[in-house]
Amino acid sequence: MNRVWLALTSAVFLLLLAVSPWAVALRAFGGKGVLVTLWGTVDLYGRAKAMPDVSWLGYFTVFWVALALVAAVAAFLPEARARARLYYAIGLAGVAVFALEAYLFYHAVWAANEAALAAGARRPPLKRYSLSLGAYASILYSLFLLAVGRLQLPGGRALLVRWRGVIVPAVSMLLAMVAGAVVVWLLKDVKIPEEGGMLTYLTAKLDLVTYTFQLLFGPLLTASGWFQSLLIATPLIFTGLAVAFGFQAGLFNIGAPGQLTIGAIMTMLVGVHLANAHWFADLPDGLARAVFLPLSILAAAAGGALWGAIPGWLKARFGAHEVINTIMMNYIAASIFLFMIASNEYTFFGRWTLHMPFKFPGYEARSYEVAESARIPLMVNLFGFHQDASGTWTGALSWALPLALAAMVIAYVLGARLELGKRLLTALAVGVLGYFAGGFLPGIPMELSSKLASVRLNGAFVIAAFAVAFYNYYMWRTRDGYELRAVGMAPKAAEYGGVSIARKTILAMAISGALAGLAATHYVLGGGIDEYRLKQSLPTNVGFDGIAVALLGQNTPIGVFLSALLFGVLLTGGLQLDLQLGISRELVMMLQALIVLFIAAGGFLPRYFTDPILAAQAEEGAQGVI
Amino acid sequence: MGLESILTAAFLVPLLQTTLRSTTTLLLTALGGMFSERSGVVNIALEGMIIFGALTAAVSAQLLEAPYLAENPGARIWWIPWVAVLLAMVVGAFIGWIHAVVSIKYKADQIISGTAINLLAAGLPSLVLAYFYDNTTASKELVNRLPEWLGFSPLVYLAFALVPVTWYVMFKTPWGLRLRSVGEHPEAADTMGINVFRTRYTAVILSGVLAGLAGAFLSIGVLNQFVRNMSAGQGFIALAALIFGKWHPIGVLGATLLFGFAKALAIQLGGGDIMPPTVIEAFPFIITMLVLAGFVGTSRPPKAIGKPYEK
Repeated sequence: MNRVWLALTSAVFLLLLAVSPWAVALRAFGGKGVLVTLWGTVDLYGRAKAMPDVSWLGYFTVFWVALALVAAVAAFLPEARARARLYYAIGLAGVAVFALEAYLFYHAVWAANEAALAAGARRPPLKRYSLSLGAYASILYSLFLLAVGRLQLPGGRALLVRWRGVIVPAVSMLLAMVAGAVVVWLLKDVKIPEEGGMLTYLTAKLDLVTYTFQLLFGPLLTASGWFQSLLIATPLIFTGLAVAFGFQAGLFNIGAPGQLTIGAIMTMLVGVHLANAHWFADLPDGLARAVFLPLSILAAAAGGALWGAIPGWLKARFGAHEVINTIMMNYIAASIFLFMIASNEYTFFGRWTLHMPFKFPGYEARSYEVAESARIPLMVNLFGFHQDASGTWTGALSWALPLALAAMVIAYVLGARLELGKRLLTALAVGVLGYFAGGFLPGIPMELSSKLASVRLNGAFVIAAFAVAFYNYYMWRTRDGYELRAVGMAPKAAEYGGVSIARKTILAMAISGALAGLAATHYVLGGGIDEYRLKQSLPTNVGFDGIAVALLGQNTPIGVFLSALLFGVLLTGGLQLDLQLGISRELVMMLQALIVLFIAAGGFLPRYFTDPILAAQAEEGAQGVI
Repeated sequence: MGLESILTAAFLVPLLQTTLRSTTTLLLTALGGMFSERSGVVNIALEGMIIFGALTAAVSAQLLEAPYLAENPGARIWWIPWVAVLLAMVVGAFIGWIHAVVSIKYKADQIISGTAINLLAAGLPSLVLAYFYDNTTASKELVNRLPEWLGFSPLVYLAFALVPVTWYVMFKTPWGLRLRSVGEHPEAADTMGINVFRTRYTAVILSGVLAGLAGAFLSIGVLNQFVRNMSAGQGFIALAALIFGKWHPIGVLGATLLFGFAKALAIQLGGGDIMPPTVIEAFPFIITMLVLAGFVGTSRPPKAIGKPYEK
């Protein structure tokens, strides 16, 4: 079986190497490019003014074919250690050759650009050049060979199984990307020069698919891309945590959209109507901020908690399944939401008229503006930058936030011997000290690029980071969390151990709902929907995205954070996808759905990856061999 | 418009008609879901299956009629909507097959698998619409929608006719007995020589077929195009009706009629000043929750529901 997989992977690799673009020397806006392949360059752009000298690329083909052949022969060596050594050797050789090829390619591009500039060109003719599918395939194949080498040694399979928390999501992600590639292949056509044959067409198609994913992951390459991704990731962290929290307690909370909506309504009530109420008008600014900002944030959590607790209670009291009830609550929340902000006047039975003060006058369905005192500042503000009258962002990079964070982490790590509660308090106190100390230090004066400053990443991200920490602390460091997980894993055993399942169900749903509700802080208090208001365009769908985030993150705090960030990157890249290739951003939604489907199926991996008991056996058995 | 205006023929007759129409989608979907759930596979993917069915029917009918319309802009070709319905059923079966493979063969959590299909149904239609029509929200309006017989689409009659049929199949045929035994006690069924996996596959695919049919009814029976999210939670309500109806065809008929009536009431009262439309739209969902909490107490689901079968 292993040999079959090896042969199959090698064949796919060689095929990809042969037909796919190895690199792209020039990429125009809109996706057309100059493709570098093993058998020559294909100019789909048509107006390239310079070409890199990549005649050497063909020679390396010999090396890769030889590598695949050696890999095939190595599978028949009788001794495991010899096999492993050989695989390690050729794997490392592959990595080294890949690095050499990459260096040569970039060097050739730079040389061509310099030559063009010396010849009088105003701008470097080759731009947005990059490696492409063929190059990616070679490095992935080399890494694959290294992994095969490790698998030959005793304990190899146990190692794989031990890393199942990473392998299952990674494989699912990869499969989803392949499926996404097929969809792009089917839905999007390419134009090739008339003299181009079947091979050119194939290469152009593969280039399109590769470019699609390059665009999707593109935000990782720029600072503003990272900022934008974090901005989009912020609500996903909340909803991902909400779903993960439910999963840990054996509950499936599909109600995050509704909980978010109710959280948003509650925070609107406090942040707009309570904070703007006339009897608080005399409060000094600082005091108002200290009161209303935390209060508004708590209101969001409380609204979500309420909307989560109801299905929890229905399940505990009547045995009504939480999945259907949370779905119903989503629709009900959407109705309440529209009811509140679509109109201020309703007539019942033709007689009674209800007047409400929530909708801002005008055509659009939106609330009044959140009071200054209840707004969450932007991250750039938190880092000490301000916008002057001319619109440029200047200031000094403040040490307060980084120092506070560093102090907190250091105090937490050093306090390992303290009791947990004291440890947390100490860390928090040291963090506050660090914040103030950092405030007094002279900052680094600098000017922000307008691109970076235009990203409205706000303080809700900090709240999200704290929510991740809270989830980690509560689930794995407290008795309540332990009991919750016990209920999730083995409800009968937990009940026998004295845990009230009914109470835990309500509690878990309430906290899960509160986490989802907190996402509203980003949208309403942090101005996540362009204005500091509650608007009809509130994207409640992030509640469903939370399912994919939680599953991809395997319900772990760091996993949820990273997968939220990943989806943030993909969604940010999706904008470029729409702009450049005319492929709808919904592709990312489809990828999310497929990831959920494939993770549910355990990544189509053998059962010992997904079944806890079989996994434990696989780990044990392999240890016996050593 | 006051309360008295409700009790007139001008209000009641359309109310009855709308009730029957909105019941049809729910009834078809719920009857399909019954096969799946009776065999022990939770099918929360009904919502997504409706959407895929609706998309397939609308797009295929529009593409089929396009060449004829190019010649004669008013061309009525009788077979086009029926082929579209057939295709919708095939696509529904395919989606059901995916759900079956993931949750039966790969023993996935059936609710997560179903949710994945629902998420897919939220994203993929936009891509398909963008490919065919250059927009992401609706398909092109078509001419050749399903005909109406005596004021109702044939699928309305079909849905109600299916109630006794499913009852007969489920409770009077050997296949129905096997299906139920697989959902109640798969180990015992397996011992008796019943192929648990095959029975469940058939049941889930059948539920996909019926949900696809319901989707086709929405897009080319009620409307004449596919609109994004056009099923608007009806798959979930059908699932609730299934539970409320105690997984029995007659009970399902009663439950879907109730929900259909609530929806029809919402539509009929929509324009007036009896109730704000946003409030009325929430009614079916509130009723569903009340029903699930209060009246279902004695409803007993198939015993093996939600559990993957380990041979």
